[in-house]
Amino acid sequence: MTAILELKNVTKRYGGDTALDGLSVTLEANEYISLLGPSGSGKSTLLRVIAGFEKPDAGEVLLEGRSLAQVPAYRRGIGFVSQGFALFPHLSVFENVAFGLRNREDDPLQDAAELRRRVDEMLALVGLSDLGERGIDQISGGQKQRVALARTLVADPKIILLDEPLGALDANLRARMRVELRRIRQQLGITFMHVTGNEEEALAMGDRVAVLDSGRLAQISDPDSVYNRPQSARVAKFLNCYNMFEGRRDEGGAFHAGVSSFACSPGAAAAGVYCVRFDKIRVVPLQGLSEDGGTGVRATFITSEYAGPRITYFFRGADGKVLEVEYHLSHRRPDEFAVGGDYWLSWSPDEALVYFQ
Amino acid sequence: MDASRGNDVLPESATAEEGVKTESGGGDSSARRITAMLIAPGTIWMLLFLVVPMLMMVYVSFWTQKTFSIEPTLTVKSWVAFFSSETYFAALLRTIKIWLIVLATTFALGYPTALFIGLFIKNKTVQTIVLVLCVVPFWTSFLIRVLAWRPMLGKEGAVNIVLEKLGLIAEPIEVLLFTEFSVVVGMTQIYVVFMVGPIAFMLSRIDPSLIEAARDLGAGTWRIFRTIIFPLSLPGVVVGAIFVSVMVLGEFATSAALSGRKVNLLGNIIVTQVGSLKWAFAAVAGVILTAVMAIVVAVLLRFVDLRKEL
Repeated sequence: MTAILELKNVTKRYGGDTALDGLSVTLEANEYISLLGPSGSGKSTLLRVIAGFEKPDAGEVLLEGRSLAQVPAYRRGIGFVSQGFALFPHLSVFENVAFGLRNREDDPLQDAAELRRRVDEMLALVGLSDLGERGIDQISGGQKQRVALARTLVADPKIILLDEPLGALDANLRARMRVELRRIRQQLGITFMHVTGNEEEALAMGDRVAVLDSGRLAQISDPDSVYNRPQSARVAKFLNCYNMFEGRRDEGGAFHAGVSSFACSPGAAAAGVYCVRFDKIRVVPLQGLSEDGGTGVRATFITSEYAGPRITYFFRGADGKVLEVEYHLSHRRPDEFAVGGDYWLSWSPDEALVYFQ
Repeated sequence: MDASRGNDVLPESATAEEGVKTESGGGDSSARRITAMLIAPGTIWMLLFLVVPMLMMVYVSFWTQKTFSIEPTLTVKSWVAFFSSETYFAALLRTIKIWLIVLATTFALGYPTALFIGLFIKNKTVQTIVLVLCVVPFWTSFLIRVLAWRPMLGKEGAVNIVLEKLGLIAEPIEVLLFTEFSVVVGMTQIYVVFMVGPIAFMLSRIDPSLIEAARDLGAGTWRIFRTIIFPLSLPGVVVGAIFVSVMVLGEFATSAALSGRKVNLLGNIIVTQVGSLKWAFAAVAGVILTAVMAIVVAVLLRFVDLRKEL
């Protein structure tokens, strides 16, 4: 693996707000990296700094080892696919894809036959061979996405930055475009950086997932590590699949969060956050409590949400906090719980993640 | 739980459906009645005060003109007189010439202004304030705005005084006022804002991400202007051009006030002819003017599909 893009201590402020706070990250050649973060975490700013639309206040961006500080956006060889696709509405699909080759400042392509060959080749790659002459208002959202991608890819960029590329598509199309994006990337062998606020998308797309929090890199690793071993309570929170309890561990190895206390690995007393993944919890009737070896919390059933392969149950804990339990329905039927009934949410202490401050 | 939910929902949905039914029940005919009532005032107004007078004008242009009266005996005499007279045909050509010049000057001055307002001012509030500033001259009467050019351009006017004091000219320039030049200057100043408005509106609607995308694809500033910004602002240019054209083609006041009656446009001819009760002749000039305007607007509309753009 060779590094293609390096960010070193990049800081970007807007007025008093710090969008990027001394961020360092390295992108490898030929990888799909997804960048996950809540809105306001600085992920769009990061893309804009890499693309050259914004100048960092401090730090540097290196492309293949060379600093980009003096290189304007249009000379960087970095493709940018923006959220709303930004297709030129007055040009046909073909003309949109041909735009960069024909109008770029450096070495514009004059030869009409060569232009046609390259554009057609790219349209074929994204599966739009027959739509070249269509207007932008005559194609669907998914097709627009492909045009935007083809328009950027045709210039042979070294990196493609995608700003929430699937955000404007409906769920069905989104699932299909995920596969398409990965196929296209693999075929071309260039690095894709995909920004998203959707944890599922980040995990599904990325060879590596970078989690951004308040302008800093909270974690960067393979999707499995991010999902199963988030490095901090903040990362666990973004993943949106952990019940989290703030509290304190005592010397005896019990974690106290408000009125509840859970079993925890023993150690020095410290404040921390105790996290249990939604799908690691079992719901047991209060009577069955003694037979259960795990630790847990007493909670009242509120409602459930059925989503085909899984069902999510919502409970209210003693302190009013909403807790979620997720059952995967591959080999079972959903359980029925009485609304307002009290249950015991149980889990094995080994499954809990505890972060100390 | 299920039972209680069912009880809650059923009566609600039933009432909702009833509500929809009663509304849509009488919907068809009452909707049609409302449509008719809404379009009636406009239609009647246009028929009475646009269509009928226009047909009347065409009809009157074929009436027979006596010295002080007009008779409804059909003749083409007024039409023949118009096209065989040097003066009147020249006025038609002059009208077209002045219109083309003013169209060019309002565009040349208006487009950069609109570019600044619509594209360079990012803040929408500031944009609106600046556009309103463009309209401020309209708070003064039209005639005052036109006449104010006299002390500006006259032989002892502001421009000549300044140029003389700077030592740039020895003698005052006399061709500044009471020429086609002064008419063009006056009209440009008055009508340029009608060019600025629509263009600025179209420019402000261009998604900044399009310009960013073009830049990312390697295009330089001039390329981006030529291939993206200008084409996307074209509907605004066409609307502005229609505004300016319709107003300039029908103009008579500016040319009367700033040309010393030396520059006669079709509008001036209509005013004079009506003043001397030559109704048939005025009608001929009116029909020709209307036809020219119709052609101009039709041609301009061919450039863009406004229905698609706006």
